[in-house]
Amino acid sequence: MLTLIKREIRDHELFFIGSVILSAVLIGLSIATLDGHYWIELVTFDSPAGAIVLPIIIFGFFAMGAVQMNTDRIRKISAFISILSVSRNRILLAKIIAGLLAILIALVPLAVTVTILLRIHAPPIPIFYVMVLEIFSGTFLITLACYFIGLQAGWNSGRPIPAIVGLALTCILATLILIKGFTPEIIVILSLFIVASLIRTWHLFMSTPL
Amino acid sequence: MNDNVIKVENLVKYFDGRCVLDGINLTVPRGCIYGLLGRNGAGKTTIIRILLGLEPATRGRTSLLGTESTNLAPKIRGRIGCVAEGHNLIQNYKVERLIKLCKDLALQWNDESFGHLIETFRLPMDRRVKDLSMGMRAQLNLSLAMAIDPELLILDDPTLGLDTVARRQFLELAIEVIQKQDRTILFCSHILSDVERIAERIGILAAGKLVVDCPLEQLKNRVKKLRVIFSESVPANLYLTEIINQQIQGREMAITVANWNRQKQAILETFKPSSCTEIPMSLEDIFIECTRPNPQPVEIA
Repeated sequence: MLTLIKREIRDHELFFIGSVILSAVLIGLSIATLDGHYWIELVTFDSPAGAIVLPIIIFGFFAMGAVQMNTDRIRKISAFISILSVSRNRILLAKIIAGLLAILIALVPLAVTVTILLRIHAPPIPIFYVMVLEIFSGTFLITLACYFIGLQAGWNSGRPIPAIVGLALTCILATLILIKGFTPEIIVILSLFIVASLIRTWHLFMSTPL
Repeated sequence: MNDNVIKVENLVKYFDGRCVLDGINLTVPRGCIYGLLGRNGAGKTTIIRILLGLEPATRGRTSLLGTESTNLAPKIRGRIGCVAEGHNLIQNYKVERLIKLCKDLALQWNDESFGHLIETFRLPMDRRVKDLSMGMRAQLNLSLAMAIDPELLILDDPTLGLDTVARRQFLELAIEVIQKQDRTILFCSHILSDVERIAERIGILAAGKLVVDCPLEQLKNRVKKLRVIFSESVPANLYLTEIINQQIQGREMAITVANWNRQKQAILETFKPSSCTEIPMSLEDIFIECTRPNPQPVEIA
């Protein structure tokens, strides 16, 4: 399994480098302002920078999912790997773990930094920490949802309609967050959407001829 | 223990409403080299893809090493070596990286045998797979398939793109593999002389059906091509069952018959031909006769 995950990371190292750069830039911005609230504004789109950052994250991970699946299909990588001692389940799982890692690389260091900044600069009110948790779990879920849409769109790349539907769904999700913010209802909707996407991706990958 | 390494039962496959495989039944016992033949598009690769679980069957069941193809666990896959048509390796990888990937994913890896093959084929480690010639890709694919000491080796047109020397080397290697106890090979090829050289049992696919499935020697004995000359014209009421091909020119008739036996010989003799000579047939001749478009395909088994 580790070999498969390592292969995915190495084959899509650009996305991992992108995640690190994005995380570093946002951490830099947060530290530079020396104000823990800046990031909260950023993610809740109270600042113009926030409205730029979230679409970058969303479409970046949509692209990662699409590229992972599309290159696999074009180069017949899974067809080759699956005749070795590997099951299709494991191949897909390795792809998803690699995607999750890239998302976590982008978000976790930032979340830790914001928490530390809050501890240093903000008054010790628990509501701040709850807000950070909500914001980061929401960002994580929306990114994951878009990543799964990307996986499906990439696998169906021969047919333009599923890819267009995938992109449209990503836009709808992004707009929903922009309008409503990370409310508990949105998080529940996103969680359900992710489960449905995961099942659909798994079904597509398992049932399509390689 | 089930001694049939490959089992295909009533396999049917449709592509876009077109029937490619129509009720194929096939078994390959342990230790057998099975040569699967057929014209382009006959369905050889489709059978292999279904066997490996890469393609779903429309109907029917297939199994490898006693496990359903749709349910092949990594432990079972690790006992199967495969050289796919077109040598579908990961094109943008360097040879060295591809080898490492296969080695890391393999359940067992015979370094000695692999090293020997790489040395024999002189494969460049630092080049990308896409930059290798077709022959080199075939050699790399074969080396990777052999390195896991497979119990079952599936070869789909493995010598495609190989020069004469490399082809000979490959065949010798295949024989070496089969000599190891309990090794089984399913060998699809267009080069019939290769198949004739190593296969013990032959299957011929034509019009979606397995029209031949028997040992090679038996096939050669069962399919007869005769040149029959009559004193006058060829009798209009001459009828033999299981005629694969029949050509009449004046008093002379060239006839290819499946499952030739004494009974058929006796029937032919009742028409009192002035001469009847057997024309020797190679596997290639038999293949051409069996895959000729025929309204009623004759099964030889």
